[in-house]
Amino acid sequence: MKESLFTFKGGIHPQNDGKELSRNAAIKPAPLLERYFVTISQNAGKPPKPVVAPGDLVKKYQLIAAADGFVSANLHAPTSGKVKGIVEVPGAMGLAVPAIEIEADGCDETVEPLPLLDWQNLDAKTLLDRIAACGVVGMGGAAFPSHVKLSPPPDAKIDTVILNGAECEPYLTADHRLMLEHPTDVLEGAAIIGHILGVKKVVIAVEVNKPDAIKTLSDSAQKYGVEIAPLKVQYPQGSEKQLIMAISGRQVPSGGLPMHAGCVVQNVGTAAAIRAAVIDGRPLIERVTTVTGEVVKHPGNWLLRIGTPVIEAVKLAGGVTAEPGKLILGGPMMGFAEKSFKVPVAKNTSGILLLPHETAVNYESGNCLRCGRCVEGCPMKLAPALLCTAIEGGRYDLAADNHVMDCLECGSCSYNCPAHRPIVQYIRRAKAEIRKKAKR
Amino acid sequence: MDYLELTIGAVLVNNIVLSKFLGICPFLGVSKRLATALGMSGAVVFVMTLASFITSLVTKYLLNIDLGALGIGEGTVKLDFLQVLLFILVIAALVQLIEIAMQKLSPALYQALGIYLPLITTNCAVLGSATMNFNAGRGVLASTLFGLFSGVGFALALLLFASLRERLELADTPAAFKGTPIALITAGILAMAFVGFSGLC
Amino acid sequence: MYIMIITAAVMMALLGLALGMIIGGVARLFRVETDPRIELVTELLPGANCGGCGKAGCSDFAKSVVSGENPPSRCPVSGAEQVAAIARALGIDAGQSFPMKAVVRCGGDTRQSTRLATYNGVIDCAAASLVAGGPKGCAYGCLGMGSCAHVCPFGAIEIVNNLAIIHAEICVGCGKCVTACPRGVIKLVPADATVHVYCNSPQKGVAKKQVCKVGCIGCRKCERALPDKFKVTGFLAEVNYSSAPTAEEAGAVGCPAGCLLEEQRHLEIETHDPDWSPDK
Repeated sequence: MKESLFTFKGGIHPQNDGKELSRNAAIKPAPLLERYFVTISQNAGKPPKPVVAPGDLVKKYQLIAAADGFVSANLHAPTSGKVKGIVEVPGAMGLAVPAIEIEADGCDETVEPLPLLDWQNLDAKTLLDRIAACGVVGMGGAAFPSHVKLSPPPDAKIDTVILNGAECEPYLTADHRLMLEHPTDVLEGAAIIGHILGVKKVVIAVEVNKPDAIKTLSDSAQKYGVEIAPLKVQYPQGSEKQLIMAISGRQVPSGGLPMHAGCVVQNVGTAAAIRAAVIDGRPLIERVTTVTGEVVKHPGNWLLRIGTPVIEAVKLAGGVTAEPGKLILGGPMMGFAEKSFKVPVAKNTSGILLLPHETAVNYESGNCLRCGRCVEGCPMKLAPALLCTAIEGGRYDLAADNHVMDCLECGSCSYNCPAHRPIVQYIRRAKAEIRKKAKR
Repeated sequence: MDYLELTIGAVLVNNIVLSKFLGICPFLGVSKRLATALGMSGAVVFVMTLASFITSLVTKYLLNIDLGALGIGEGTVKLDFLQVLLFILVIAALVQLIEIAMQKLSPALYQALGIYLPLITTNCAVLGSATMNFNAGRGVLASTLFGLFSGVGFALALLLFASLRERLELADTPAAFKGTPIALITAGILAMAFVGFSGLC
Repeated sequence: MYIMIITAAVMMALLGLALGMIIGGVARLFRVETDPRIELVTELLPGANCGGCGKAGCSDFAKSVVSGENPPSRCPVSGAEQVAAIARALGIDAGQSFPMKAVVRCGGDTRQSTRLATYNGVIDCAAASLVAGGPKGCAYGCLGMGSCAHVCPFGAIEIVNNLAIIHAEICVGCGKCVTACPRGVIKLVPADATVHVYCNSPQKGVAKKQVCKVGCIGCRKCERALPDKFKVTGFLAEVNYSSAPTAEEAGAVGCPAGCLLEEQRHLEIETHDPDWSPDK
C-alpha cells in the first residue's frame, strides 16, 4: 500500500505536527461581534476600491469594496450595521493597512441573495462572473482571485484539476474538518471547477494522516466524478508545484505557473467557497480557521467572519493558559509572525497559532557547516546553503543565477539546518532585492 | 608524440602561471569574478596563439637576415639581440590591428574580449611564451601549438583561481586574511598542487 | 659589425614604418564613429569610477550626460567648477548642484522608542522589515540594524543605541544609504543645513506617542514661530531646506516633542547623554 501513495522528492517530516490539539474539534460558528475590521487589501493583485462611505448602513453580503481591474476581488460586509469609516489596523505583514470598520447592529440582516444557479447547464463565463462577484480568492494562503486562476489563457491545455486537501502545515486542521464535516460542499465545488475548465480529471489530494476525511470524501466522490488521491505525509506536500509533481508526475518549469504543467490547483476551502457562491449565491464573508497552539485553552476550529480581530478569535477559544511566546497567522512553517493581536482575520487566514515560549525558542545561528541537509530537504531541488552564503555576502546576482526566485519559502531548509541559520529569511531578502532591481 | 608532450607539458606540467610564474598580474587582477576571468582567458588564449605564431615567423625570417639573398652583400646577419624589441613591436601592432578590426567587424566579440586585449598585448606571459619558443628553437607549428596550449594553461589556472576566490569571498575568513592575503595563500596552494603534475612528461 | 648595426636599424625602421602604415590604413578602413564629446566629458570627470552616480563608471556616466539622460551635476564627487566646465563644454544646463548630506530622520533609539516583538533573525534592516515589518513599534522609524552603515563607502554612519547616526563631516551625500534604507528614513539635504526634524512618521500624534517619546506630535509650534522655515503636513513637521533655520532659531522654538534638534546636539544626546529625555 505504501508504495502507491503519491509524493515528491525532498521535503521534511516534522516529528510533532500538533494537529491532535484541534483535530477532533468540530467547526463551531462564531457569535456576532460588535465590530469588524475588513482589510481592503486582502487579495493578491490590485486591492479593491471601497464603495461605502462613513455612516452608510450596510447589510450582510453587501458589496463594500469593488474589484479594481481583473486581478482583484470584491469585498462584502460580514454583517449588517454601520460603516464607521476607513481606519488603519495592523496588517498581516506588520505595517498598518487600511480597513473598513463596520459596527454591527446585531440584526445580521442579509441583502437580497443572488439567484441560485443551475451550474450544470451554464457556461463557464456566467459561473466565473458569479465567482468574481462573490469575491472568492484562494484560501490556502496566497489569496489569488479564483476567477483569474480559473480563466487560463486559451492556449493553455489544462487536463487536471487538483484540489489541495493536503494541509501539510503542522497544527492546522481547518481543511481537515471542512472535508470531514462538509464533504458534499467540497465535492460539489470540485465538480463546478471541473465544469468551468472543461476538465474530466478532478482529483482531491489528501494526506493519509486524515483517514476519516479520505473515507468520507471517497464515499460520495463517485457521484460527483471526482477522484480522491491519498498523499504521503510529508511537508510541503500542499505546495502547488509539489502537489502537481505528486499527482501528475509533471514538473512546473522554472518561473512557470501550474498551467504550464496542464494543471490548476485550488484549495479545498476555495472549492467550498466557490460552491457557496455559485449554488447559494453567497459571497465569501467567512471561513474556517483553526485557533490552536499549546497555550490556547480550548484549541479548535471556528467559522470566523472576515474582519474578526485575532484577539476575539483567541477569546472564543477560551483565551490562553500561559503568556504566548509567538503569534503566527497561518501555519508554523509558512505563516506570518505577528506583533499585534489586533490583526483582523482575512480570507486567507487558515490558522491562528499561539506558541508557548518554550517552542518559540530564539536560536543563536552559526556558520554554515556545509552538511547539505538543506539541499536534501529542498523540494525545489535548490542549494539553499549556496544561496544563503551568497546572499549573506551580498551576491544577489549569484543567488539569482542559482534560481533563488524558484524558492517557495517552505522553510524545509531552515527546519533541517543544524546551525539554525535563518535561510528562508535570507532568501526572502534576496527575492525582494531582485524584484526591486527588475523594477528599476 | 612530441606534440602531445608539448601540449600536456604546456597546460599542466609547465603551467605558465603556476610553474613559470608568468602573467601573475592578470592572474590576481582579473580573478575576482568568474565571468571576467572567462573573458580574460579567451583573450589570452587568442593573443598568445597569434603572438607565438607571428614571433616564430619573426624568428625565422627577421632575426637571420640573408644579405646575399637580398643582393646587398654576402653572408647572414644574426640579430638575436633585437629579439625582445622586435617581439614587443610585432605583438603590439598585431593586437592593435585585431582590436581595430574586431571593433568594426564583430562588436559583440569586441564587447566580450576587446576590453582585455590592450591589457595583455605585451603581458609577460605572452612575451614569455614567445621567448621560450625562441630559446627552445621551435619551428612555426610547434611554436604556435605551444602558444595555444600555454594560453589554455593560463585559462585553466585563472578559471580555477577565480572560482576559488568567488567561494572564498563568501566564506567567513578571519579579518586579517580577508581579500588579497587569502587569495595569495590560495594561489600558493594551487601552485603547489600543480607540482603534482611534474614527472607526467 | 657596422653591417649588423645598419641592418638592424634599417630593418627596425622599415618594419616600424610598415606596421604603422598598416595600422593607420586599417584604422581608417574600420573606423567606428564615436561621439568625441563622450571622451571630452570623461576627461573632465574625476575618473574615480566610484559609481555614486548610479552608472558603471565615469565613462559610462559621460555617455549618459552626452545623451542627456543625466545632468552633469549627478556626479556626486565633482565640485561646482567641474560641473560647470562640463556644462560649458556641452553647452547645456548644469543642473542644480550644491553639496548634499544624508540625515536619518529618526530619534527613536532604544531609550525613546518601544519594541513590539523580539526579533531573532538576520541583522539587516531590509530582511527585518520583511518579518511583520520589523520589531520596532513605530512603522516609520529607523530599525537600527545598520543596512545603511553597511553600504556607506565612507564609513560615515554609526549605529548608536539601535539608531543610525550620520556624521555630517564625513558624509559626501552619495545617497547610497537612501536607497539601502527599507523605510525611507534617510533623506538627502543641503550640506550647510544644521537643524533637522528627527521624525519620519506621518501617523497621528497620539499613535506616535504610544511607540516613541520623541516623535513629532504636529503641534505646529515651529511653524507658527517661523512660518517660512518650517512646514507641518498632517502630523509631521519638516524643515524648509531652501531657507534653513539656524541653530539659535531652532533652539528658540523650543520643540516640546524633542524631535527638532541641531545636528551636533542630536549626536551629543545619542553618544554622551544617556539620561536625556525630551521632557526636561
